[in-house]
Amino acid sequence: MSVMPLLVICSILVAGGFLLAFLFATKRGQYDDLGTPAVRMLFDDVHKKTENN
Amino acid sequence: MCDYYVFDGAAGVSQRGPARDRSVYDVLDDAATSARFVDYAQGPITRVRLVLPGMHCASCVWLLEQLHRFDPGIRSSRVDLMRKTIEVEFDNTRTGLKSIANILSSLGYEPLLTSEGTEHDQDAERREATRKIYLRLGVAGFAAGNVMMISIARYVAGESGMDLTLLRLFTVLSIALSIPVYFFSASPWLLSAMASLRRRVVNLDVPVALGITTLFVRSIFDIVSGGGEGFLDSFAGLVFFLLIGRLFQQKAFDAVSFDRTVRSFFPLSVRREHRGSESVVPIDVIRTGDLMIVRNGEVIPADSILMSATGYVDYSFVTGESVPIECTSGTMIYAGGKVVGTAVRLTATRPVSQSYLASLWERTASRTPRSSYVKLSDRFGLWFTAGTMAIAVTGAVIWLPNVALAVNVFTAVLIIACPCALTLAAPITLGTAMGVLGRYGMYIKNIGVLLELKNANTVVFDKTGTLTSAKHDVVYHGSPLTPEKQEAIEAVASHSAHPVSQSIAGNMTPSSTANVMVEDVGRGVRGRSNGHEIVIGSTAYISEILGDISIADDVGTAVAIDGVFMGRFVMRSHVREDVPDMVQDLRASSIHTRLVTGDTDRDAVVLQEVFARDEMQFRASPSEKVAAVEELRKNGAIVLMVGDGLNDVSAMAAADVSIAVTDETSTLAPASDLVMPAARLADLPGLLMYTHELTRVISAALWFTMAYNVVGISLALAGILTPVITAIMMPVSSLLVVGMSVAGARLFARRFA
Repeated sequence: MSVMPLLVICSILVAGGFLLAFLFATKRGQYDDLGTPAVRMLFDDVHKKTENN
Repeated sequence: MCDYYVFDGAAGVSQRGPARDRSVYDVLDDAATSARFVDYAQGPITRVRLVLPGMHCASCVWLLEQLHRFDPGIRSSRVDLMRKTIEVEFDNTRTGLKSIANILSSLGYEPLLTSEGTEHDQDAERREATRKIYLRLGVAGFAAGNVMMISIARYVAGESGMDLTLLRLFTVLSIALSIPVYFFSASPWLLSAMASLRRRVVNLDVPVALGITTLFVRSIFDIVSGGGEGFLDSFAGLVFFLLIGRLFQQKAFDAVSFDRTVRSFFPLSVRREHRGSESVVPIDVIRTGDLMIVRNGEVIPADSILMSATGYVDYSFVTGESVPIECTSGTMIYAGGKVVGTAVRLTATRPVSQSYLASLWERTASRTPRSSYVKLSDRFGLWFTAGTMAIAVTGAVIWLPNVALAVNVFTAVLIIACPCALTLAAPITLGTAMGVLGRYGMYIKNIGVLLELKNANTVVFDKTGTLTSAKHDVVYHGSPLTPEKQEAIEAVASHSAHPVSQSIAGNMTPSSTANVMVEDVGRGVRGRSNGHEIVIGSTAYISEILGDISIADDVGTAVAIDGVFMGRFVMRSHVREDVPDMVQDLRASSIHTRLVTGDTDRDAVVLQEVFARDEMQFRASPSEKVAAVEELRKNGAIVLMVGDGLNDVSAMAAADVSIAVTDETSTLAPASDLVMPAARLADLPGLLMYTHELTRVISAALWFTMAYNVVGISLALAGILTPVITAIMMPVSSLLVVGMSVAGARLFARRFA
């Protein structure tokens, strides 16, 4: 059982890391527009190549 | 999928009909004007945000995000499809806002340039509010999940099954996780409760804050004093669910932007003639005495005097009168009118900010906003807090000799009575309803509007554009016309800019051509078509030409073919098809109906089938409309004002709740609580019924949680419930409330499908 406290603390720390990632993403505006990115991912990048020529 | 959009440079992109006169964008070279659209500027880098009402699909996003390929000065562009905005970042040494506007316009996305600019502050504020909710939700969800896991471990292990170090660790962790939930995640309720107490009002946030605080403090106290394991799991879960309710509210609120000022109705610029040369200037530059040129379809920005010989002005925005008014040289023209037909020259008599329209608007804006939701929350809050306090104190007094038990009972009552159901159920039910209604084109300003609508017992209608279609029919009275002659008339009429002629020409396909011989502007037009000589004009004009005095006084527009008087065209607006049924339905649910219009009574006959004579009021000026509404309110009515134009704005503000009706064609609607398309007007009785059903859903949810909690607590006191089941029951009740609210709001919304 002595390993339990260690495990609990570890899991909380890992989860806390994800929480921080979420807070960071929110502050940077990741959740401001939930509609357009869904559309934007449909475009392919093929044309970028022609542009560079 | 986007291959058809591959361009060779910027050539050949304007496929969307004739490009609009681009000189209107010249004004964007003016630094003060363009600054209204700038979001951010740092050295050579400038970022602007523009509203593009035309964007609608995935391809639009793709095209608009390729703007840098049209102009190398553009660094990047980013689209928000939901809000229909584009953010363009550019190098201001290499390009400017004007050329960006030109590119967008040539692509078919004409930017919405009103003199108000882009609403940066409001938008930023709203974005910030949504982010805050997400942050609070993240923290609360994190804490709730972990505290619940810890609690369940403790419940399952029971009293003896856990070693002391682990138990102590769990206790410390639960408290550590709960502290940010109380001070950060729950702060909206705590702050709102404190603010309302400071104002000496008790709103619904007070009992919520009281419940949350009691739950938190008592749990900490129990744990520290060793008196029990506390309810921190329930506490964190509760805050989490409350925040979900908040998020619903905010999302629904985000969907629509409603606050308009009079400036958003005005164009950004106007053509000014100055010392013989014509230039486009921002409307704020216009001073008394300036000469302006306003073309067909443009809005007149300032009160002015007509300099051209004649002109037609459509005041439907301002007065509600649907037929354009013919003005002669020297007539006073008010701001807000729209020029129809030929361009006119005007001399401004007042700067833009002092126009009659602006003063009308300011009177409206000075009224204090009211929200039924806040009122309801305040009323309910007081009632609720008083009730729970009374019960809690009584309970405590009964057990008084036993202080520990008394405190126990007192806090238990406060915790159970926390009106979470109401704070959860109301925003979620109303927020869902708001979203569903939005799908049918009915946009609501905030969720409180639904409660105001429920209370409304008198509906006041404006006529033009609301009950009658904004377009009007031309009805012909006279000798029958052969199709060939009819065609000839239409062909000649189509050559005149007069609004009546335009209506006569209507949706004519140009199958016949006409030679116009004379157009006596403002009086009539003469022409040849299909071998007939056609004269269309005022009755006086025709009688003069034919030498027949008998028809001179007749109303309408007369027409003569080959020197013979044929008949008259009379303009008539028609009542929308579904209006009679709609009004009947409203009466059936004992709602009074009234008609107050700025229009003349020429349609009274048509409307008499719908309204009783004493329910109708014609030729009402905007201030008379306000007076009518205020009188109704004084007599105890709760007034819903349904209107469509700027002329109704003050009456709409004076009413308890207002609906703006829009035709598909018009993108501008006056400030109101709800915007609905004209085609949906028939659903008005259904909408009112729907609001009643929504309150029923909310109270059902309220009674349900009450019963749930009472049963749960009684069982717990009787010792039947194990702690594990309690820990599960608490979030399940919140989930059930959420489910009931969403399902209820959707179920009853099926009537609109």
